[in-house]
This record gives sequence, C-alpha cells and structure tokens, in this order.
Amino acid sequence: MNSLKGSRNLIYAGCDLGIISAKAAIIDNSNVLAFEVLPYKGHPRQAASQVMDRALAKAGLYLEQIAYCVATGFGKKAVPYADELVGDLICHHRAIREINNNVRTVIDVGGQSFAAFNIDNNGLVSETAVTDKCAAGTGRFIEIMADVLEIPVEEMGSLSLVSADPAAITSQCVILAESEVISLINDGYDRFDICAGVAASVSGRIISLVRRVDVNEEVAFIGGVAKNALVVTNLERKLGLKFANLSGIDPQVVGVLGAALVARDERRGSK
Amino acid sequence: MIVAGCDVGALTAKAAVMKDDTLLGYELIRSRAQSVQSATQVMTLLLDKLGLSFDDIDYCVGTGYGRAMVPFADDNVSEISCHGRGANWLVPTIKTIIDVGGQDSKAIYVDAKGFVKDFRMSTKCAAGTGRALELMAESLGVKIDEVGPLSLSASEPVIFQQPCCIFTEIEVRHEVFNGRDSADIAAGINDYIARRILNMARNLGIRKDVGMTGGIAKNIGVIKCVEQALGIDLVVFPEDPQLIGAIGAAVFAADKARKLAQ
Repeated sequence: MNSLKGSRNLIYAGCDLGIISAKAAIIDNSNVLAFEVLPYKGHPRQAASQVMDRALAKAGLYLEQIAYCVATGFGKKAVPYADELVGDLICHHRAIREINNNVRTVIDVGGQSFAAFNIDNNGLVSETAVTDKCAAGTGRFIEIMADVLEIPVEEMGSLSLVSADPAAITSQCVILAESEVISLINDGYDRFDICAGVAASVSGRIISLVRRVDVNEEVAFIGGVAKNALVVTNLERKLGLKFANLSGIDPQVVGVLGAALVARDERRGSK
Repeated sequence: MIVAGCDVGALTAKAAVMKDDTLLGYELIRSRAQSVQSATQVMTLLLDKLGLSFDDIDYCVGTGYGRAMVPFADDNVSEISCHGRGANWLVPTIKTIIDVGGQDSKAIYVDAKGFVKDFRMSTKCAAGTGRALELMAESLGVKIDEVGPLSLSASEPVIFQQPCCIFTEIEVRHEVFNGRDSADIAAGINDYIARRILNMARNLGIRKDVGMTGGIAKNIGVIKCVEQALGIDLVVFPEDPQLIGAIGAAVFAADKARKLAQ
C-alpha cells in the first residue's frame, strides 16, 4: 500500500438501484464508512438521491466530497450523481473478491436479478448463467406473495421456519402463484405453511439456475433474497453445503459495495 | 325450454340464459373468494333481472376455471369447448378463436359447427392475460377499460422489451415517473399484451375468420395491434366478447336438454 502514502484519503461511493430497492455504499481508501438500503415504490431517481443522502448523513459527509461514484443495477441510468455506470456482474465479482477470496460460485437473487457465476482459481469470472425473463424465483415474487399474505417481506423467511407442512405452490408464474396463494388462504391454510411453500418455490427456481453453472465451493449467496432464512436453509440442504461467510456484510449490499470498490479502482487505476 | 350457462373464471363470473335458441340475457360479476359463491351470485342476479327462478332452468352447464364448483349445474364442459361453440353460435364462419381470460390465454381452431379441432393454451406464463393488463393499468393509474381508448391518441408508443409482465408493470411505473405521455404508455401496454398473445396463437396457426373473446377483446387497442400484426380484420361479435364462454355453455345446455326431451 506504499503507493498510497501521502495521497489524500478520498471518498468513493456506489449506488445500486434495483427494481424494488435502492442501495448506497460509501468508502474511503481503506474502510467502509456507510451502507444504506431503501426499499422504494416511487420514483427511481428520487430513491437513488434519497438513499445516498441517508448514507452520507450516516458517514457525516456531503455529496460534493465524493471523489467518484459508480452506479449499477436495473435502474443505474436514473442515478443522477453517478460518474460511471457498471454492470452488476462486475460489481458482484469485485466485492466478493474483496470479502472472501475462497468463493468460487456466486448466486445473486434480488428483486429482479437472477444470476449465478463461477470464479476460477485466478480470480476471473469463468462461467455465468443469467436470466431476466421471468420474475419467478426473484425477490419480487416473494414481495408479491408477502402482500397477499399481509406479512412484511422481511418476516417471510423467519416466520416460515416453524412450518412442519409447507403448502405446495405449483405455478411458477407470479400471477398464477398469486392466485394459488389466495386460494390456499381461502382454503384455510396456515400462513406459516404458505410462507414455507413460497420459500420452497423460490428455492426450486434458484436451484435450476445454479445447476447451469458449476457448483464449486465456496458458494456465496447474495442479493436481497439471501436475507430470507428459509430460502437459505432450503438451498443449503439441496446443495449439500453451507454458504460462504461474507464477514458479516448484508448480502443485499454486496453489489453496491462492489460499485464503490470499482469507483475506487477507477480513480486509482491511472496509477 | 330455458337453458343456462355459467362461466366461473379466475377474475370474473358470467352467466347467460337462453330460451329456444334466443339469448334472454347475461350478467357478469367480479369473482368471489369461492367459486360456489361466484356462480350462485351471478346466476341469481341474472335470474332476478329476467324474472325467473332456478326452477325455470331445464338444463345448466358450468364452464371456466371453477366449472366443477357450480352448485346448480347439471354438467360441466371445458371453457375451450364453450368458447368454440359460443363463438360459432354468434358468427358461424369463425375458424380461429383467440380467447384471453383473466389468467390464461388460448388459441382455438374450430370446425364449421364450432367443435374444437385443435388448440394451444398458455399454462406457465400469464403475461398475455387480463390480470397482466389489469396490473399494468393500475401502474398507469387508469381503469382497465380505459387503456384501449387512451392508446388511440398515442403518437410514439413505448416499447416494452421485458417478457415478464411483473417486470413490465414496474417499467410502466417508471415511464409514468419519467413523465411519458400516458397515451404512449397505454399503447405500449397494448402492444406488449398483443405480442404475448400472438406468440401462442401463431403456434397454432391462424385460419380465417378470426375472433377474439374474453375480457381483453374489449380493449380496442389490443384488437388493433392484433389486426395489424396479423394483417387481417377480426370478427366483430354481436354480443359482449367476455360472455362468449357462458353463451357457449348455454348452447351446450340446449343440446343436452333437447337430447333429454327426446
């Protein structure tokens, strides 16, 4: 790190504007200063500004102090203060390399994102599987079912842990599964059992995606859906492994951390 | 001889009553939580309107998603068959029926008597259905029956690229926030729905005459998109296209009642 001696401690930022939540990260030359996650339903541009304002307030900084900012995610073009736009995969890869160098497989499931990729022994991305054609298996699927069940989306994973008899949800399509869930509620099914059924449905979709790449350990599970404890345990059981340790970093902010790291790399890149 | 058809769909329930090959009337309601309730409510409404009672009905056929749950039906027939029969009863020259319901869409090829020869059905994806249109209309902030008329004044329709309607719904919202003209967004929604429906219909093959049934057939914008894509004019049904399944069920009921009378 000698090359950095004498250089000012600059501030870098990332904004990951997803389809249902906005994330911001602020870092300096060596530390993470703030993370912020903001679920939104309104204007994406406003959500991007709001999430960064909150992160800046946490870090006690101003927007003008950011030396470089990278935006990523579905809505990256709507991030008004971004200096550069970078794809999700690059950000995820960058962050994972920083957090845990032993990871060889990354599964990313967010509101819309649905991707898996391999990292080879040289640290390069070797194989990818991405699909954005269908909302089945994504965070948006869980969110819509949470609305129908009138349960906060954060509780969908924890509540379902106590189910002994998960309800079967056979449709993949969100619209068809939504009406299946409504029928299950009308038929008097226990809500916990339905939550468990939702988690099982999502896990099934994720498994079919993951099988399109090599499942090499360690495996990191990132994105908002990785916060659903039942999906995590379901996947761990089906894959026969434990997911990689992310050093306590919220799986939902891995992408935005990567964006901030890319911002720092870009600024230092000229070196 | 009085016969009835009751079509319990995923989103709406419909009833039709016929007397000696004449349509007496029909009724449509939003589906209730249970199919039994939907069927009973819509038929009661219709019978009250016509001054009839359940005892006056000689034969009743149930159809649609909840067809087995119609408590007063003597028999049930699939909605595919009923749409074929109903469409043929109204327009005898029809060969291809594109039926777009609340949660599925079907393309049906019928013979000269309206009996099904072949069909395709969407079972995995609800992108080209009434529910998808309804979600997108909500995001646009208009009623579902306003999307069609609104789209007619579009100058530069939005092109929605995502195949999944759940993501498209959010894109609609983003276009609204970006200040896009609502007519252009409405036209984009109709174009999207029409493309999703035609993917399936083309797989069956399009034989003239072609008609659209189901709730979405009331959307003039979707009709125009389909006509443009196929390069043909669609048949105009003399009755509400959303009622054609229930009418077809009543036509089947008339057949059965005649057989019983013999």
